Amino acid sequence: MTPTHLLFDRIDEPGLNTLQGYEKRGGYSALRKAFAIPQAAIVEEISASGLRGRGGAGFKMGQKASFLPKGEMAKYLVCNADESEPGTFKDRELMQKCPHMLIEGMIITTFATGINHAFIYIRGEYELQADILEAAIAEAEAAGFIGENILGSGHSLKLVLHRGAGAYICGEETGLLDSLEGKRGNPRLKPPFPAIEGLYAGPTLVNNVETLATVPTIINMGGAEYAKIGTEGSTGTKLVSVSGDVQRPGNYEIVLGTSSREIIFDLCGGPKPGRTVKMWFPGGSSSPVLLEEDLDVAYDFDTLAKAGSMLGSGAIIVVDDTHSALEVAQKLTKFYAHESCGKCVPCREGTNWTHKMLARIESGEATPMDLDILASVQTQIIGNCLCVLGDAMAMPVGSIVAKFRDELEAEIEAASERANTVPVAPVQDAIPVGAH
Amino acid sequence: MSYFDKRPPVKRYEHGSRVPGWDEAVDLTKPPATVPDPALTPVPAELREKIEAAMALYPDSKSASIPALHLAQQHHGWCSPEAIEQVACVMQLTPAYLTSVASFYDMFALTPKPKHDVYVCTNISCSLLGADEFYEQMCASAHGHEDIGVRGFECLGACDIGPMASVNGEYVGPLNLFDAQLIVEDLEAGRPVLEHKQLRNRAVADPQGRVADWTGIDPVGQEG
Amino acid sequence: MPRPEQTIVKLTIDGREVEAIAGTMLVDAAKQVDVEIPYFCYEPKLGEPVGACRMCLVEIEGIPKLQTSCSTPVREGMVVNTTVDRVLEAQNSVIEFLLVNHPLDCPVCDKGGECPLQDYTFGWGRGKSRVIEPKRHFVKPLALSPLIAIDRERCILCYRCVRFSQEVAEDWQLIFTERGAHTFVGTHDGHPYVAPFSGNIVELCPVGALTSQPYRFRARPWDIEGAGGICTLCPSQCNVEFTVRDDKVVRVLSRENSAVDDGWLCDKGRFAYQAIHVDERITEPLVRGESGELESASWEAALGAARAIAGHRGRGAALVGGQATNEEAYLLGRIVREGLQSHDIDSRLSGTVELGLTRALAAPALQATVADLEFAHTVLVLGTEPVDDSPILDLRIRKGVRRNGVKLAIASARPSTLDPNATLSLRYAPGSEAEFLAGLDAALSGTAASDEFGALATLLKDGGEDVVILWGESLPAQALPTLLSIAGKLGLTDRDGAGLLEVPNGTNARGIREAGALPNAGPGYSEVQAGRNAAEIAAALTAGDVTVLYLFQVDPLRDLPARASWDAALGKAAVVVAHASVLTEGLARHADVVFPAESSAEKEGTIVHPDGRLQRLRAAIKHPGEVRASWQVLVDIAKATGVETGILTAGMAFQQLTKAVPFYAGLTLEAIGGRGLRWPETDAAAEMPAGAAPAPAKVQATEPAPEGKLLLGTYRSIWASTEVEISPALAFTIAEQLVELAPQDAIALGIEHGAAVQVAQNGTRLAGRAAIRTGVPAGTAFLAAGIAENSANALTESIVEVVKA
Ligand SMILES: Cc1cc2nc3c(=O)[nH]c(=O)nc-3n(C[C@H](O)[C@H](O)[C@H](O)COP(=O)(O)O)c2cc1C
Ligand code: SF4
Ligand code: FES
Repeated sequence: MTPTHLLFDRIDEPGLNTLQGYEKRGGYSALRKAFAIPQAAIVEEISASGLRGRGGAGFKMGQKASFLPKGEMAKYLVCNADESEPGTFKDRELMQKCPHMLIEGMIITTFATGINHAFIYIRGEYELQADILEAAIAEAEAAGFIGENILGSGHSLKLVLHRGAGAYICGEETGLLDSLEGKRGNPRLKPPFPAIEGLYAGPTLVNNVETLATVPTIINMGGAEYAKIGTEGSTGTKLVSVSGDVQRPGNYEIVLGTSSREIIFDLCGGPKPGRTVKMWFPGGSSSPVLLEEDLDVAYDFDTLAKAGSMLGSGAIIVVDDTHSALEVAQKLTKFYAHESCGKCVPCREGTNWTHKMLARIESGEATPMDLDILASVQTQIIGNCLCVLGDAMAMPVGSIVAKFRDELEAEIEAASERANTVPVAPVQDAIPVGAH
Repeated sequence: MSYFDKRPPVKRYEHGSRVPGWDEAVDLTKPPATVPDPALTPVPAELREKIEAAMALYPDSKSASIPALHLAQQHHGWCSPEAIEQVACVMQLTPAYLTSVASFYDMFALTPKPKHDVYVCTNISCSLLGADEFYEQMCASAHGHEDIGVRGFECLGACDIGPMASVNGEYVGPLNLFDAQLIVEDLEAGRPVLEHKQLRNRAVADPQGRVADWTGIDPVGQEG
Repeated sequence: MPRPEQTIVKLTIDGREVEAIAGTMLVDAAKQVDVEIPYFCYEPKLGEPVGACRMCLVEIEGIPKLQTSCSTPVREGMVVNTTVDRVLEAQNSVIEFLLVNHPLDCPVCDKGGECPLQDYTFGWGRGKSRVIEPKRHFVKPLALSPLIAIDRERCILCYRCVRFSQEVAEDWQLIFTERGAHTFVGTHDGHPYVAPFSGNIVELCPVGALTSQPYRFRARPWDIEGAGGICTLCPSQCNVEFTVRDDKVVRVLSRENSAVDDGWLCDKGRFAYQAIHVDERITEPLVRGESGELESASWEAALGAARAIAGHRGRGAALVGGQATNEEAYLLGRIVREGLQSHDIDSRLSGTVELGLTRALAAPALQATVADLEFAHTVLVLGTEPVDDSPILDLRIRKGVRRNGVKLAIASARPSTLDPNATLSLRYAPGSEAEFLAGLDAALSGTAASDEFGALATLLKDGGEDVVILWGESLPAQALPTLLSIAGKLGLTDRDGAGLLEVPNGTNARGIREAGALPNAGPGYSEVQAGRNAAEIAAALTAGDVTVLYLFQVDPLRDLPARASWDAALGKAAVVVAHASVLTEGLARHADVVFPAESSAEKEGTIVHPDGRLQRLRAAIKHPGEVRASWQVLVDIAKATGVETGILTAGMAFQQLTKAVPFYAGLTLEAIGGRGLRWPETDAAAEMPAGAAPAPAKVQATEPAPEGKLLLGTYRSIWASTEVEISPALAFTIAEQLVELAPQDAIALGIEHGAAVQVAQNGTRLAGRAAIRTGVPAGTAFLAAGIAENSANALTESIVEVVKA
């Protein structure tokens, strides 16, 4: 029987967050195994596993690692632990409960790619998880898993935990790199891609926590074996964070390809009794929304893409029928307008303009024609921004305008009626004062 | 009349900037803010040592700007001009460099802030579950408590316990309207906040992740 | 780093074939075939593209997403479309987004009519706004500095200004604060953006967000004309464009010349144009009348009075200030040598250098160019502070270090603002330059007296062959043979990309010397009977051996050391004739005739850049008041002393000069044109007489200051100039005497930063303010020279006492 739980198996075990607890479970055996095989073969194992990035873009990890130039030079591995995509909280659980799994994955990855400097960029709000990771790094260092000539392999590694300070854009890999260099977290132009010119202008591999934490498993079971789990294009298991209107929200490890309905209903209990799924985000707030009729799609990268959305970070947000489409769209735009770094014009102005248009709908100052402008503004954003944060608002908002047009038109009508009887408050700017 | 002209008029903004700083001119009597001279900028020894230790962790010491600002904020309570100038002095950067960095990130306060931070998540998942009402209640409960600062925050990465808040870094949830008052009381008493709702003690939702001898809090919706 | 090689790439843009140098960005390649792609944030002068405004999106066949043409380099076979629907739609969109918040206040905006946003909106916008949301409104304009106003409503966050501050000037004072749509341009805690190059941001701003306080609302684009010129306020000789309205200069812009200035200006060059049109300027001749005061006079009366010098044959002398043109210097040489039959003319006021040595230092094969600073392996800055002495070079050096990995070494007495960029910074005691160079010379021969010398020698020898030594004229003459020896050991002669580059004390010092205004050299560094130099002239005046002094745009009391003895010397002179634009103290007290001098915006003539580039001054405006062309006045004076020059136009003066200076042979004003021409690169350069360097002399070690006293060093700030003093916009820069002290000395003396101090020496007392500066070597005090009051020029000895006032 193929295993279904590779990362979360008995993760609640007390003491698993310590080196002792982790080693008792066979921790760091993958590292020993890796040191015994040639570096190139490790990258091949990862490629053979078909592991796709768990951070959002779903890019194959083995392929990305193979882009790194070979040879002696300052190269870097950066673990993306920014986890700021609304609805996403899986890396948090992993780092808090089994930090050594991530650390072991990072050591193997750096060994395979000839990297001697690694960083974990964790969002500043995750104070507990950062403290736990820091302690775990210290333990691993004391045990000789990190440092000079690790276990006599000749591989050396310096691993630094870096705490961010609250900015969603620092999850975008190039924004993260600028932030890690001590700057404002503005995304950079690509190309050059980080694998060629990243941190401190050196070749840099950026991977998500879950991606890196999967590496020891792949080494232990072998890439080919791992690839047997899941579907052809989406191998392995995936941590999904389910939240919103479900009865049992939380993190679940699923085999890729499981039906979405199974996740939302069987695992999470679906919406409260008497309510139905109005829409759901399959991969974080940046993914276009799907409807109840889409619940049977298989939860994997390709099927979700075919259904017009994406797997993203694996964060399912369920919205039940007690909420209005306008409310959801407004929440989204407020977030993206607040988080736009401001560097590029379509994202900075487009998110804010969208927010103001939605506010006009609410205050009764819109006509159905505004929905056309709203939709057109979303297409003007998509594809024209420096990074994809702009798209990350435009895609779901665009999908809401398209899929809930009737409801929005009705809302416009109703709001104008209200506005004619009740005085409206002045339009507010997208971002409330106080968020400095 | 064209398509656009038929739309109703919009009620104007009241005049004025909603962003602190936008409407401010510089003070021409001040000197330019260049890299502080170590001989002229006293830095508390403890703060200096910690910043220097952070700088030593990176191939390029500038990388330590965020950690250093965290340290300065801890030391001074907020990223005051003085705090920023001290960091600038140790790192040999201009204060403007650090102001620019600090103002980009939500966790740095460039104006004085209360001692206690209550970040209430008001993003999508939490708000579907009533975060906006909780936020209002939290503001009301903290009203009059000068040392408690309540802020609406974007997704804090704990939607599983939504509606939730981070109280001085401690994640608590799911919150109901009564919890607002309890948070205030716990803070004023100097106790751990809402111990029975702290994320640190909560089990994973995935049944296969659970263990029999778990002593903490059950996942949301899976009590008993 | 040596300059990169260039290869050619072929591609197609909008159906047109383009050949472009590899590495060229698509926007620039498109310009070559007259395809205009609009953009805001792209500005290659600022470094790598940021791709922020998204205005320049184009379609590249084979790539699904539109790409920013500002950041995509040309590739062989690329097919680019800039006018297809999806590109036009993207351009429409970006303009529309920009206007969501940009105010439509063009009628009252200072940028209106010369605003890229306005032009692009017209050319690439939708023509109809769909935005009915209210825009943001803010208080405007606000002060960003005494020179610059900021209008945040109009800012489109294109990054240009902040990138300038951060990546070009590297002063890091101007920043973006906040995030997203809240982002705004500002400074730390309300400090003003005051820095030597701040004005460039006004020129960079593509909208009316940043405006020049002195220019705001002085003219509209259709009232003005632009006229090319050269800034003559320092030896950088940046190329400028004067904005002229009603025959008045109302603004100075950069006229980019990568061989000279890279398209930047310092704030002195940008704002001191105000000195042209202020009441303090002398615009009519002055003659000392019966009352003993200088009084306005007619040209006839003034020229008549000046003719008195003709009666002092054999006893006349002249000092030539750095702003003189080549032609003026040449004519002054004729007046002194032929007319007054004297040999006493000097322009190298810091001390005379032997003729053989002068020639050797100016040898064409040894000259480095400004651009070499950017591509050298190593640059050694020796005895000069570029930001004060030749500001634009400061930016060029930073650029080389930042972009091309040039290694920078600094050897100076005073800490340099370039120290943080340097691989190595060495300090020597003021006055011990010769000793320092002897040490370096020995280290290059393998006997390093210290690790520091060893490290510097290794850097210069092993860092790559292309070494440029940027040296200041203030190095004492006795140090120069050693400098030549060092250049020889490093093989700097005959190497393109390597060599010496002098930062002289005067703007056109090089041209003036080449025109023959030296006591020991005639035009073209020809041999002449030796005369007195500046210091000797002072002595001879005091002794009565010289009775006439001609001061061409120089005031010894202001510009030279030993102020008291000059005061006495001038008091003894029978006739003092001066050309000046401001009545400085020495002239007010001692001049008998003062002719109004021209500003560089009024002058015709040529000047020579320190790297040998002849540049042309052209009249942008008419002479104000009674001002006349100085060459004409000099021709008249020459005539009075019996010299028939035959010169009737400025051009004829230049022709005569090219005849007198063999290595200028064949140069024409047309050839010099608007970009200048380096004579060392012409065939005639072979006519430059060969130099001969004397053997370096033995040097004496400098003694440290005795207990309780300090060694005196001086500096001349970028702002120390009369033009700055009378320009109202720059009034805020006028510095009092800032006495720079090492922290430990300040503690020992009980002096706090900013405290009033007295600097005493031999009964002379100067008032100043203490400026404690880490990096100032203990035992040394640095005082400002060349300032109007309490200038270090009053001091004569190398030791001073600094006490609390
Ligand atoms: C706006 C934005 C936010 C992102 N946030 C995160 C994040 O919080 N965590 C993460 O791992 N990846 C995030 N990503 C994806 C990263 O850019 C990058 O693709 C990922 O870290 C690569 O790792 P992976 O290949 O292991 O998934 C974000 C991307 C964008 C555009
Ligand atoms: S002030 Fe001008 S130059 Fe600076 S970002 Fe704004 S628009 Fe650009
Ligand atoms: S988010 Fe800032 S430009 Fe894309």
